[in-house]
This record gives sequence, structure tokens and C-alpha cells, in this order.
Amino acid sequence: MAKFMQQRGVRKLLKDRLAVSSMWVIGAYLTVAFAVLLGNSFSGGALKAETELRIGADNVPGAWTSQTAEERLRDATFYFDNIKKASRSSDPASAYAALEWGSDRLPAWKADRIEAELIAPAAELSTALEVHDELEGNIEALALLQQFEAVIRGHIGASHDADGNASRSFGQSFRMLLGTDRQGRSILVRAIYSTKVAVQIGIISALISVLIGTILGAAAGYFGGIVDVIVVWLYSTFSSIPWIVLLMVLASAFRGTELDGTLIPVYVAFCMSFWISPCRVVRGEVMKLKELEYVQAASAIGFSRTRILFKHVIPNTAHLMFINFSLLFIGAIKAEVILSFLGLGVKHEPSWGVMINHAKAEVLNGFFWQIGTATIFMVILVLAFNTLSDALQDAFDPKHI
Amino acid sequence: MWTFILRRLLYNVPVYLGILALLMGALRVNDPISGKLGKNPAPGDRAVLEEKYGLDKSFPVQYFALVADVVTLDFAEVESWTNDGLFVGEMLADSVVPSLAITVPALCLTSVLAISIAIISAFFRGRPVDKTLMVLAVVGMSVSFLVYIIFGQYWFAYSLGAKTGTSYFAIGGYEPGIANWPYYCLLPVLISVFVAMGYDTRFYRAVMVEESGRDYITTAKAKGATKQKIMFVHMLKNAMIPIITRIMTTLPFLVMGSLLLEVYFNIPGMGRVLFKAIQEQDFPVVQTFVAIFAALFILSNILTDVLYALVDPRVRLS
Repeated sequence: MAKFMQQRGVRKLLKDRLAVSSMWVIGAYLTVAFAVLLGNSFSGGALKAETELRIGADNVPGAWTSQTAEERLRDATFYFDNIKKASRSSDPASAYAALEWGSDRLPAWKADRIEAELIAPAAELSTALEVHDELEGNIEALALLQQFEAVIRGHIGASHDADGNASRSFGQSFRMLLGTDRQGRSILVRAIYSTKVAVQIGIISALISVLIGTILGAAAGYFGGIVDVIVVWLYSTFSSIPWIVLLMVLASAFRGTELDGTLIPVYVAFCMSFWISPCRVVRGEVMKLKELEYVQAASAIGFSRTRILFKHVIPNTAHLMFINFSLLFIGAIKAEVILSFLGLGVKHEPSWGVMINHAKAEVLNGFFWQIGTATIFMVILVLAFNTLSDALQDAFDPKHI
Repeated sequence: MWTFILRRLLYNVPVYLGILALLMGALRVNDPISGKLGKNPAPGDRAVLEEKYGLDKSFPVQYFALVADVVTLDFAEVESWTNDGLFVGEMLADSVVPSLAITVPALCLTSVLAISIAIISAFFRGRPVDKTLMVLAVVGMSVSFLVYIIFGQYWFAYSLGAKTGTSYFAIGGYEPGIANWPYYCLLPVLISVFVAMGYDTRFYRAVMVEESGRDYITTAKAKGATKQKIMFVHMLKNAMIPIITRIMTTLPFLVMGSLLLEVYFNIPGMGRVLFKAIQEQDFPVVQTFVAIFAALFILSNILTDVLYALVDPRVRLS
């Protein structure tokens, strides 16, 4: 480790302030991802269930924005409709108790008290509000709306005092922080969970691609001859099919099988199309390395060719592996968005791609919270990796364009 | 030179055969028939479909049939599986123009803009202008293509139209003809230019910076040439080699169109046709389109090498 830290490239990298801060950012993302991964597996999938939880009305904007009167009315009406529906069921008492949005629920009153103190006045206000077409700027209507909200929203929360006045729990405020999507699910929770999916896809596909690429490329460059011919043929073949078409064909090859809906098709598609660039770069580097004295010395001592390859040649391509890993990580995260849009990506789980794709319809209604959140989560990580890739390239491979 | 071209062509024959084999193999991993049969197929249905599509023949027979089609460039007889009566040759002819209507203007505009910005950036290298441009390029690169498309469509096709009362850009769709081009194609072109700008500017700037460290620049400076003259006369000429290479390598992708844009804006180009064909497992269409693309890709690679030698007398084709 100490030897590694003293390398010229590593020292240069650690002096680069931007590179170091982007490593911190990446570290933070990795921490979140592993926390989600561990939390989810220890709680038996509770976090995943949390991403599907309905926590309120549809497309509620983030916490610190002021809503228009129409949006406020829609929001309160959502809760009112749910409560009315419960009151019409055969067993209203248990239906009221079953009503919950995240940790928000109704006060633990008897059914007739809910009927009298909540539903009856709310229904009256709701009918009174229906008369007004225009809410904005209409003082009378706004006053009614405020009363309506006080009756409905004032009673819904995580905990209640004796009069039923509600207060929200911290958890619910956190869920509501960046608003809800079209199914009333928390955007923030989904974006955080998606970090795990993104990191998972990024690490696994970049790692496997780099390993395959490095081993094939190094073998081709070192052994030459027939191995080289085969490897070059293989990557020429793969690279002549447009990347996005290869991705689509491979991802759709799993349709209908039991692996459909898991992340396996995504990994396979990414690995099979991403290994080419590390392979090409490593092959070139190894062809240069094998002419160097230290490799010739190793073979003069009588080390076997495989040993020289794995112990002396491949470790010296480590910088290329790092650079390629970083670039492919970005590639995987961005390609995931495209695959999700084409309907071939992540299913049964939120991901930034899924969120951006779902946000299409919301954007047309002028609701930007979901697409904005997913984009910002993604941009920060990709930006950090872009900066790190540049710094890695400057530090270890300065001649590269 | 001709021996070089011939040798490269021969060398690429096994690569090309490999591409076709890989493609056909990957397509056939998933059984194409079961999706096309109804919920309760009669026992004979499968055999009938297999015979209709030629899937009852062995893989080598199907493979050589495709190779024969490609070698003779005769796609008029190849029938699409999902659109009865439609032939691949026809689909190809119909979809090339919409694709090119987007990609050719996009490539020209991107190249001109990106090279200009790269020159500005390289000219002011290390100064605030350069730094700002490069930060913008990296940030621009970090945003997903899909986000650009969604916002582009929202702002220019919906919002702008709603605010001004006249619609300047179509929400989607395509009509042939030059007069209709700005309405249907300009917005996708602009989005595509915007997306490519970050990558291209960074690449071209790196090329310029690389060139600016060479000996001939030092000589020119020592001679007393002005900075402008060095930039535009000495450097740009030499930087043209990697620039041409980059543009050449993107040429085959023009034909494929920008798949995402075509799918999103409902433009009936090759990308969208191919996407639908993959979804519907319409093998003849996928195979033919990719076969043509791969052939163009290989040819343009060879052409790039030849151009290289023509532009740069130091390069020898051997």
C-alpha cells in the first residue's frame, strides 16, 4: 500500500484537488448504496417495499414550494375521497384504521366521531367550493379552501392530540421532502434507493467488462499469433454492430425467460458490449510492455509465460484498468436510462432511468420534481466520475487524447 | 494503395461473417415463435409458422441464405415477419431519408460548432473562457440524453407553442419534403447537436492542445508568426487528421439515425424501424439493417485509412 501511494501517478492524482473531492463524492454515493443494500437485505426487503409505498396524493411538489390553490384543493380532495370511500365500506371502523399514507393516518376516533367531525363538515365545505370555478384571487373561495384543508389535512398525521390535531412524523416529512410521483410514491426515497441500483449496475458491469477486456487484450498482445488473430477478430466483430443495437438485441434475448425482470439481462448486455474498449487499449499497451527489459529479464530467468503475463505484465496495465473502469461506470449508468426508456432495463425496482422515463408524462403537466431529482442524483455521480476519469488520465496516461 | 484496399477487404471478410453469425445467434437465443403464437395454439401452428419463416431449416442454411442476400444486395424478396406484404428492401428505402434528414444536418452543425468552440477554448487555453467552456462541456456530458429530449420537447414543442399561440416545432411525427423539414426535424437536430457538443468539443480541444505542443509550433513561434497565424494556418491544418478520422467514424452511424430521437419523436427512420423490429422479433428486418450498417462501418474504416494517407504524406499504406 505504501509503495502504491508513493507512485508518481498516485501522488499526482492526490494533489489534484478536484480529483480528491470527486473521490469523496463517489465515496458518499458508494456508502449510501451499500447502506441501502445492507438495510434492504437485513430488513427483508422493507426498503424496497418503501419505494412502492403510497404516501399521499399524486405529484405533490417538494416541501418548500408554495402550491397553487388548485393543487391544494386536489391534494385535500385526494385524502377526502379516500376517507369517504372508507366510510361507505361495510365496516367503516376498520376501514378508517386501515387508511394510511406512509406514517400519516386518521385520529383513533370511533367511526361516528369521524363521521361527525371530519366527513360531515368536509362534505359541506367541498360542496360550497364546487360553486367556484376560479379559486385564485377569489377571497371567499380561498377562505373555504383553508377551512377545508384544516378539516382534512389538520387531522391527518403520524400522531394526534386529544382533539385530533395531527402532527407529522420526521419520517413522513422526509418522504415528502421532494414530493411524490404519479402514483403518490416518495420521489426522494425512490431516488435514494436507485443509488443502490445504479452503483450495482455500474460496478458489476464495469468490473466484469474490464476483467474480460484486460485478460483477452493482454493475452492477445502478449502471446500474439493465433490468439491475437482471434481476439482482434472477436472485438472487430462486436464493435461493428452499433452499440445500442447490440444492447437491445442482447437485452431482449432474455424476454420471457425466468431471468426477465432481474438485472441479469442488463449486466449481460452491458458486459458484452463494453469489454471492447479496455481490450483494445490493453492489447496495445501490452504489445509495448512485452518489449521492455524487465519482461525479457523475467523470461531469461525462466519464468513461465503465463506467470510473466499475470504477475508482471497485467499489473502494469492497472492504470488503464482504472481509467476504463471509471469510463465504463459512467457508460453503464447512462445506458441504463436509455434501456429503461426502451423498456428493456430495470423492472420491479426503481432506478434513475425508470424515474426519468416515468416523468415524461409529468413534465407535460409542468411537474419537474421527479425528473429533476433523478437527474440531479445522476449528474452529481456521473460528473464526479467524469472528473475522476480526466484526473486519472492526466496522472497515469498523459499522452492519451 | 489498391493492394492495401484489397487486403483490408479480404481481412474483413471473416469479421463480417462473424458479425452476421453473432447477430443471428443472439437473436435466436429467445424463441421467436412462441411470442407470435396465440395463447392457445393448435398443435400444428408452430410447424406452419416455422415453415413460413424458414426457421425449420438448420442454422447454417438460414445463415447462408442471409449471406447470399447481403452479397447480392437483393432485399426486395425478403419479407418482414410482422408486417405481411412488406419487404425489407421497401422498408429500407422508406426509412433512410427520414434518418438522414436528422443525422446529416446534425453532424454538420455539431462538427462546425464543436470545432469552433474547441478553437476558441484552445486559443484561450488555461484562461477563464477555456475553463468555463470545459466545465460546461463536462456538466453537459453528465446529463442523460433522455433528459435533454424530454425537456427539449417540453420547452420548444409544448411551452413555446402554448405561450406564443403558434406551434414552431412538432411534438412528434414526420412529413417528407423540404418545406416540412424545419417543423418536424429541426428540434430533434438541435437536441442531437446539444447532446454531442460536450463530447466533441472536449475531443477537438484535446487534439488542438496536443498539436500545440509539437515542434513545428515552436519553430513557427521562433520565426515570429502571430498567435492567430499559428492557430489557424499551422495548427488547424495538422489537427484536421484526427478531426477527419472522428467525422469519418461517425458516418456509418448516420444511416442508423439517432434511434432514441426517432423513437421519441415518432420519426419513421431506420432507428425506429429497427427498434420496433427488435421488439417484435422481426428477424429479417433486424438482420438486414444491421448487416448493411456493419458493411458501411467496415467500408468507412477502410476509407478512413486511405484518406489518412492522402491527407498526411507521412502515412504509408502497407
